[in-house]
Amino acid sequence: MLEFQGGSRPAFEELFARYRGPLYGFFRRRLNGDQRAEDLTQETFLAVIRAADRYQPLALVRTYLYGIALKLLAAERRKRAQDSPANEATEPSTRQATDSVLWIRQALEKLDESDREILMLREYEQLSYAEIAFLQSLPVNTVRSRLFRARMALKALLEPGRTLSETAAASESQEIAKLTRAEGEAI
Amino acid sequence: MNKIMHTIEPEELMAYLDGELTADRAADTASHMKECAGCQEIVAGLQSVSRELKAWKVEDSQTSIPPVITTALADNSEKSQKTFFVLRQTTWLGRHKTFLAWAGGAAAILLVSFGTVSLGGRNENNVFSSVGLDLNASDRRESKVLSAPMSVSKPTHDKQSAELQTYLVPQHDQSAAERGVTANAPMIIRTADLTLITKEFDKTRTNLEAILKRHRGYIGELKVGGSTGSGRTLIATLRVPADQLDVTLAEVKSLGRVESENQGGQDVTSQYVDLQARLANARNTEQRLTDLLRNRTGKLSDVLEVEQELDRVRGEIEQMEAERKTMANQVSFATLNATITEDYQAQLQVVPPSTSTRLGNAAVEGYRSMVDGVVSLALFLLSNGPSLLLWGAVLFFPARMLWKKLRRSFAP
Repeated sequence: MLEFQGGSRPAFEELFARYRGPLYGFFRRRLNGDQRAEDLTQETFLAVIRAADRYQPLALVRTYLYGIALKLLAAERRKRAQDSPANEATEPSTRQATDSVLWIRQALEKLDESDREILMLREYEQLSYAEIAFLQSLPVNTVRSRLFRARMALKALLEPGRTLSETAAASESQEIAKLTRAEGEAI
Repeated sequence: MNKIMHTIEPEELMAYLDGELTADRAADTASHMKECAGCQEIVAGLQSVSRELKAWKVEDSQTSIPPVITTALADNSEKSQKTFFVLRQTTWLGRHKTFLAWAGGAAAILLVSFGTVSLGGRNENNVFSSVGLDLNASDRRESKVLSAPMSVSKPTHDKQSAELQTYLVPQHDQSAAERGVTANAPMIIRTADLTLITKEFDKTRTNLEAILKRHRGYIGELKVGGSTGSGRTLIATLRVPADQLDVTLAEVKSLGRVESENQGGQDVTSQYVDLQARLANARNTEQRLTDLLRNRTGKLSDVLEVEQELDRVRGEIEQMEAERKTMANQVSFATLNATITEDYQAQLQVVPPSTSTRLGNAAVEGYRSMVDGVVSLALFLLSNGPSLLLWGAVLFFPARMLWKKLRRSFAP
């Protein structure tokens, strides 16, 4: 990144080759439509180019990139919520999504939003607890607790042989837990 | 989960799988997991979740840089150039910047072409070094860019060993790698025990040292001992390069008659890889703590706590590094425990001791036996005297009465 900041084009090409795929995956798993994911991936790199002069190596490059990506994602979600609030809840999968992928997506959607984001950053983006804590502005121990909670909840949701009613019940219990936690935080 | 029964929290099991525990805690967790079925079940559950999540793969079509980014890069570059030329807008050069840019570009191409042609095969005396043009600089930059993220990225638990084999061994185990210790090859600690009997003890020792020198070995420990009336014994721990052990052993065996021989090999590949993984984890922790200390501000107590943690992690790293070096050394150098005994031949003693010596010895012996006798008597009296006095007092009067009776009965 510092090489690119110094004006090295090959450095940027290396950066692009290395992080384009992971960033596309980041947006693709969180958004509806592969074209939009592609656009946001490009926007992430455009933001890197525009902010190159102001870049300071405070964290790892990938943390920096995912920080930009998370901001773009939040902006995109806000925009979508304003445009069509009803469609925000569901984020369709890839066109050729298999049953297992759909099953995973549905299970992930039932998780608490913050827990889901932490889980996905860990599982798909392979970020360390410290990096996730940095991006989410949370203590590392909180990240660890939430990650564990999310994994155990997802395990329960993905249990083989679980019927739809059981899944719904599990989802309901998740909602209750979410509300309880929100109440606790409010208190 | 019963906390009294389990010293490891379920969250720590998860952190262990993610490679997020400190080295000692990871070792504790690993040993606990071997024994605890409950924890194994939790770990299996967590692993199954990760496996299932991995099923969601995302297709990736585009790999080249899209035009919009290329344009932005060009704009960015132009912006930098504009900043440069703004300073010269009032001059003639500034007014003709387009022409100059073309001319400069052409000159640079010519210069680089000339340099490439004239430097073909001349690597040591770079003619451009005198004007400050380093043709290898870009290559170095590229390699730095390529390697930097790899060295700082945190490997996951699953791919740790592969990354370690690729990166850590060449970086941190240069000396071991030079001796043929690589993470790809199995790591065997070879040992051999050999017992020899030789008639020419001194010559054997000299030859042994020559053999060691020839095979680039060294003496780890050496003891020579013996007493009058028996042969001398040499006990040595020899260290020879692992690939030279067989040859060295054959040569040492030729120095005498072999009484016993024993060879062994211990495979430490898994321990070594495990140690490397723990070391990498600890280094990652150290890096993160250092970053935290550098970038975050907070209360003094928090800063001190981070510093203490950093000290502890660095201590662990040093300890593991020493352990790793020792293991690598044990693999690189085989250990040969040699015991060489002299084939002793008893000799007839032809010169007896002189008379005065014998008289002196006899006098000393006599004096010693007298003192021993007195001391023994004193010891007997001291240990048994009180008992004798007691029984004497008890039996005195009955004995006296009996004596008087007997005297009366025998009296006429």
